[in-house]
Amino acid sequence: MDDQLITGYEGQVAALRGTVPGTDDLRAQALKDFADKGFPTARTEDWRYSDVRGLRQQVFGLAAPAATVPDLPETLGDVAARFVFVNGRYAEELSDLGDLWQAVQIRPLANHFMSNADRVAELVRGDDGVALLNTALLRDGIVLSIPAGVEIDDPIEILHVMTGADAAAAHVRHVIELGEGAVANIVERFVGDDTAYWTNAMLQARIAESAKLTHIRLQEEGAAAIHTAKAFVNVDAEGRYVAASLSTGGRVARFEAHVRLLGEEADAVIDGVALAATGQSHDMRTHVSHKVPAATSSQVFRTIADSRGKTSFAGKVTVDKDAQKTDAVQSFKALVFDKTAEANAKPELEIFADDVKCGHGATVGELDAKAIFYLTSRGIDPATARQMLVAAFTAAALERVPFDAVRDAMAARIDAWMAARADKSV
Amino acid sequence: MLTIKDLHVAVAGKEIIKGLDLEIRPGEVHAIMGLNGAGKSTLANTIAGRDDYEVTNGTIEFEGKDLLELEPHERVGEGLFLGFQYPVEIPGVSNLNFLRTALNSVRRYRGLEDMSAAEFMKLVKVKAAALQMDPEMLKRFVNVGFSGGEKKRNEMVQMAVLNPKLAVLDETDSGLDIDALKTVAEGINAQRRDDTAILLITHYQRLLSYVQPDVVHVMIDGRIVKSGGKELALELEEKGYADVA
Repeated sequence: MDDQLITGYEGQVAALRGTVPGTDDLRAQALKDFADKGFPTARTEDWRYSDVRGLRQQVFGLAAPAATVPDLPETLGDVAARFVFVNGRYAEELSDLGDLWQAVQIRPLANHFMSNADRVAELVRGDDGVALLNTALLRDGIVLSIPAGVEIDDPIEILHVMTGADAAAAHVRHVIELGEGAVANIVERFVGDDTAYWTNAMLQARIAESAKLTHIRLQEEGAAAIHTAKAFVNVDAEGRYVAASLSTGGRVARFEAHVRLLGEEADAVIDGVALAATGQSHDMRTHVSHKVPAATSSQVFRTIADSRGKTSFAGKVTVDKDAQKTDAVQSFKALVFDKTAEANAKPELEIFADDVKCGHGATVGELDAKAIFYLTSRGIDPATARQMLVAAFTAAALERVPFDAVRDAMAARIDAWMAARADKSV
Repeated sequence: MLTIKDLHVAVAGKEIIKGLDLEIRPGEVHAIMGLNGAGKSTLANTIAGRDDYEVTNGTIEFEGKDLLELEPHERVGEGLFLGFQYPVEIPGVSNLNFLRTALNSVRRYRGLEDMSAAEFMKLVKVKAAALQMDPEMLKRFVNVGFSGGEKKRNEMVQMAVLNPKLAVLDETDSGLDIDALKTVAEGINAQRRDDTAILLITHYQRLLSYVQPDVVHVMIDGRIVKSGGKELALELEEKGYADVA
């Protein structure tokens, strides 16, 4: 890999030494692996649909603290707490912990390992250049430990804001731990200005027996941004992970969910919607690993690509030899608005057990012209007709969002995305 | 109300309507009868403005306006309604949402305020009940899982809610059992007023026993070859198209 890149990131790792006590060795090792592997290229199979050339062309600096406090978007309905990160740094004065601290252990990442030095080993290191760089450069994030039996009903919002961060990156790392029977709902949001920044976010979660974590993502980065995000989730017996994401922002955006079902009757729901406007690329990837018998997973993804927009979905399900009675389903549907729009689908099933139920479907199509004529023949203008059909198309991937205010906000963003292109003829 | 002069329409480069004239005045019910392929549905879809139907010659005026200059949804705003031969299923869009969006679109076109949710629900319930539609069906996705008869009944509910000046009903009677046919006919008759007009497009005479037309036209190969009173429909039924035309 380019020496200049390595030197640049070496300097950043050196600068971060000591910022998160206990992680210096981990950083050094991750940096070494990063130097060996480099960033993914067009020939890296798992990255072929994500054009991250931009990452190889320059060193993204560590985003500096914001010069001015940006205007924050409203929360999506009631929240139990809101954690705000500006340019990758926790902004205490903008955050609102509500009463959450009374029931939940909350720590900034920097303090997490001070009294738990051995827990550094639990940090996911990642196995590609992007994740390794997050590990090498992690500095901030929130660590939430929800004790056994504690149920936090309202969503906990984690808002990431990027501002004035041209050619700079934020490598945040959140750690969510749910004790036995605990319930928590995380809403992650990503917004930013028009500078060419890079958000490189990772979230890792451990869901203990019978616990339930909801993980909603609204990715609305600025138009020039690169967004790479990964979630690594382990689910114990009868635990549930319910995820839904909406991706509309960024120039190049990618989200990966890696979920391991480690206990019987663990369940994962991973849904997502991606809308690629002209020139945008959205890549959504999931890997659900059924390690034990009788676990279930279900995925619904819907994407739309406008002219010269690109959406991709790669859904991998692996079923280990012992994971009998696995039930895994996956549905992917893409709309393309014209011939220059692109949709890629790659379902991948690796099944080593024989008594399983695994299904997947993938379709790519255009908006139904007959349906549009039917709607317009009832007085509905074509732009509204298309909007109604798109709302209907995406609804299946949002219906498992358990909060009306959050689901409505996601649907409203889809409507707004369609309204913004209303003057187009398809 | 509707004046069609020397209409020629091509679909995929093939001429289907080959010089058709038609005049419909307020208060009138016209029926166009003809065999499959005569161009009846092409006529209906052309009036509604389907974009793959190319008008190569002729004019269509509706209430003095050049209909061919208007987009399909604008034609509805002007007071036109097409009842589909094959109503389209729209998964994910509820009948209620569909009806309400349609009604308010038309109202906005006419410079009226949106109808309130409460007022709208009242209106829809009355119209659905008149057409003996189960209110539960209003909550379901548009035409999804509806039987052929239910779809046609749904078309009539839409017509009743939108209350058009001119309704063009394309084979609304096809696929209906006798009870459904009677209900649909009642819906059509309810729409029949001095200030409205109806154009029925049909294969068979049986709907015309319940909805008495003022004028019957026989369409063959893209043209109206004969027009007459309601007795013409009976004559067609008895003698067949070849003999009458």
